[in-house]
Amino acid sequence: MENDYQKVGLKAGLEIHQQIDTSKLFSAAPSYLRSDKPDYVIKRKLHAVAGESGEIDVAVKHEAVLDKEFYYEGYDDTVSLVELDESPPRPINEDALDIALQIALLLNCEIYPVTQVMRKTVIDGSNTSGFQRTVLIAHSGWIETSFGKVGIDSIALEEDSARIIKREKDKVVYRLDRLGIPLIEIASAPVMNAPEQVKEVALKIGEILRACRVKRGIGTIRQDVNVSIKGHGRVEIKGFQEPRMMVKTIELEVERQLNDLKKSKKGGEVRNALPSGETEFLRPLPGKSRMYPETDLALLKISRERINKLKKKLPKLRSDIRDELRKKGLSDEMINLVLSFSELDEFNALIRVYNRDANLIAKMITLWRNEFATKLKKSVDEIKDVLSERVYEKVLERVKSGKLDKSYVREVLLKILEGVSFNEAVKIEKIDDNRIEEEIRKIIKNKPGLRPNAYMGLVMKKFKGKIDARKAMEILKKIVG
Amino acid sequence: MEIKVNPGDYIKLKLSKFREIEGTVLESYDKSIVLFKLKSGYNIGISKDNILGYRVVRKFKEKVEDFRIPSGKGKPSIGLVVSGGTIASKLDAKTGGVKPLTDIKEFARFYPKLFEIVNVKKIDVPFMIASESMTSKHWIEIAKSVEKMLNDNDIKGVIVTHGTDSLHYTSAALSFFLRDLNKPVVLTYSQRSIDRASSDAELNLQCAAQFALSDCAEVVLVGHASINDDFCYALLGSKVRKLHSSRRDAFKPVNVKPIAKVWPDKGKVEFLSERRPRNKEKVKLDARFNEKVALVKFYPGQDAEILDFYKKKCRGIVIEVFGLGHVMTEDKGKKWIAKIKKLVKDGFVVCAASQTIYGRLNPKVYSAGRELEEAGVIFLEDMLAETAFVKLGYVMAKTKDKNKIRELMLTNLAGEFNELLSG
Repeated sequence: MENDYQKVGLKAGLEIHQQIDTSKLFSAAPSYLRSDKPDYVIKRKLHAVAGESGEIDVAVKHEAVLDKEFYYEGYDDTVSLVELDESPPRPINEDALDIALQIALLLNCEIYPVTQVMRKTVIDGSNTSGFQRTVLIAHSGWIETSFGKVGIDSIALEEDSARIIKREKDKVVYRLDRLGIPLIEIASAPVMNAPEQVKEVALKIGEILRACRVKRGIGTIRQDVNVSIKGHGRVEIKGFQEPRMMVKTIELEVERQLNDLKKSKKGGEVRNALPSGETEFLRPLPGKSRMYPETDLALLKISRERINKLKKKLPKLRSDIRDELRKKGLSDEMINLVLSFSELDEFNALIRVYNRDANLIAKMITLWRNEFATKLKKSVDEIKDVLSERVYEKVLERVKSGKLDKSYVREVLLKILEGVSFNEAVKIEKIDDNRIEEEIRKIIKNKPGLRPNAYMGLVMKKFKGKIDARKAMEILKKIVG
Repeated sequence: MEIKVNPGDYIKLKLSKFREIEGTVLESYDKSIVLFKLKSGYNIGISKDNILGYRVVRKFKEKVEDFRIPSGKGKPSIGLVVSGGTIASKLDAKTGGVKPLTDIKEFARFYPKLFEIVNVKKIDVPFMIASESMTSKHWIEIAKSVEKMLNDNDIKGVIVTHGTDSLHYTSAALSFFLRDLNKPVVLTYSQRSIDRASSDAELNLQCAAQFALSDCAEVVLVGHASINDDFCYALLGSKVRKLHSSRRDAFKPVNVKPIAKVWPDKGKVEFLSERRPRNKEKVKLDARFNEKVALVKFYPGQDAEILDFYKKKCRGIVIEVFGLGHVMTEDKGKKWIAKIKKLVKDGFVVCAASQTIYGRLNPKVYSAGRELEEAGVIFLEDMLAETAFVKLGYVMAKTKDKNKIRELMLTNLAGEFNELLSG
């Protein structure tokens, strides 16, 4: 891209929607998506609404008339009357609020001590009520990037909408499983002027989100980028699959907007991000949405004590965890393994027993259990039942006290898996390498010309399995070449 | 600091040396905060303690938009009585609370369709109160308005909008108060506030309008038949009860089938039960109510002396009894039979309706019932307890004669008994 982004006056902002992993925001219904056959379908119509027009005024205004029919699929055991718009909302889900507040604090935001759940008018049928409940919880945050600080303008907690199953001419079918799932909306300040910076912010926010209890997988996070250059209206680009695509997409969008300006076009719009980095027109920018209070709920007060309590137990970010693990002596490769096996807790427990070989512990709780499972044709869970954290602790205590050489740990574990009692298994004779070499040379001399594996069998037999097989193999190879 | 602003004012608040926020002030029930609408549309609260200073940028000015009630000229005429409740409340943007609509123009603004499909010839707003606060006096007021409309030859039927909490009491009262009925009297309601696009009021009102033009001379309640927005049921006013606190189809017919299925489409009414057909009689208003009646629910272990209290305050009661018609009769319960016997002897009227809601009383099956019957209790068959209460007040306003009261209570005046009820 040859354009100097500063020169063309690029301004980009991010808006991220992430599902929180709790039950629904205003009902006790569980929040997971279902693919089985719905138990029922109900039919609804949305009507023209008279009401305040966003501005304060007591006069009412008649809005556009709708005459579409909407169908909603539901399940007897996971959809409540709240999602059906047949009951007032329950009080806000405190767990979801805590998680949203954690995220806000990790983004250095200030929390509103008093706020109000609002109804945001939505008339496309994706909400049975005709509105989406949303509450503003934080403002004035920031995130550090290699380009400097980027502001976080606002954080809101809202209900996810129902998902579309089928769209026909005058009829839309929605499913109610998604409606009401807590969704955190994070909006950055529209101040970024380099595509790389947008990507970096998206990745950093993503990291913070994943450190908290949020849903994972396709469709659980939605990221929009707002892009405008000097003289051109704001263009909202939706549907990014991953932050990496943002750079190319923004580059192409700036070019497209420059082209627009040449043709004296400058209106903003909503566009859809394509896998190629290009975008396609989706719809005009929505007008300012009408918001009015959710009259069925009291004002939401967020106390100082609550915030302080949350601040004390903020989840650690992955980057912080990595730094800590590195300090404890883990190699980068091992850090990846521990994190990908999600065995951080076990690692931290075991390193307290024996802190002189972090990599050994990492192997014990990741690779070895897997290898043992394959070898013994068992599941990893079955291996874990035998080689539990407690057994590992006992083994490591022996290593720490010098009663067991760490090079024998693997042998000991295999024995325990074979059914040998713990006390028997750890009785490994400390055999001097010289003695091993001596015995190996004897065996080769007696039976020359065998394959290394055959010799190994004889060696292990000789020592009744009480030597480190790996070490024996090393010596053997040294001799047979 | 003291803050002198009015709801609707657009102000700037100073929170610290370098921090200011601006927005529109809203009315707050919590006096320690300023409730504030930000430019984004979100409302937040700021503790008054945290405010360093403020400046009013724009004073609130009420915008009055001209609105002309749509004309249904040439369409059949109906009468409309608006009495309050969710169906006639709106969100007040200035305060953020729900308030009753102020006048009929406002009502028409919210429901322009009603005024397009029929010609609303006469509109009465006798009062605007939520139905939980209504008393028999309000029933009488409504009945008076309705009677006048029914005796207007141009008007084909009357719609009454009403809150849901006590709607079935009002529908029972109108069933007794309006004698020789000639046209449909249709009560309707809403369970979802009208600020939302999903409000049930729209379908209910449209169906109510269709039913008001139909060939039927009964007091009915028209509302959602299910949680779908497709059609409504017309339910007999004396045999209907609110059976859900929040669903659209909160009202169910009890011990009887719906009178009709009603669609919002023009003229689409399918009758399911027998009804009194539309006719040319002159409606007589018989709207009187003796307030010295009460409705009491019997519960296990209840002390019979509670009846002394009612004896002091009232002249008659309806007891919601167990099952087929029982109160306790053994041990301490012996007091109940003795007490009732004495009260009835002293001229106090005691009626029984079943707290099972569904089904008919039958005092003959168990001795508990027989003893109550012998004590002089009037067993009201399959009549709803709420209807029984209304009817007792109505009957006791007409006569003091014990035998006459019994006879009237057991006479089917407005479909409150269903002789054909089986099971």
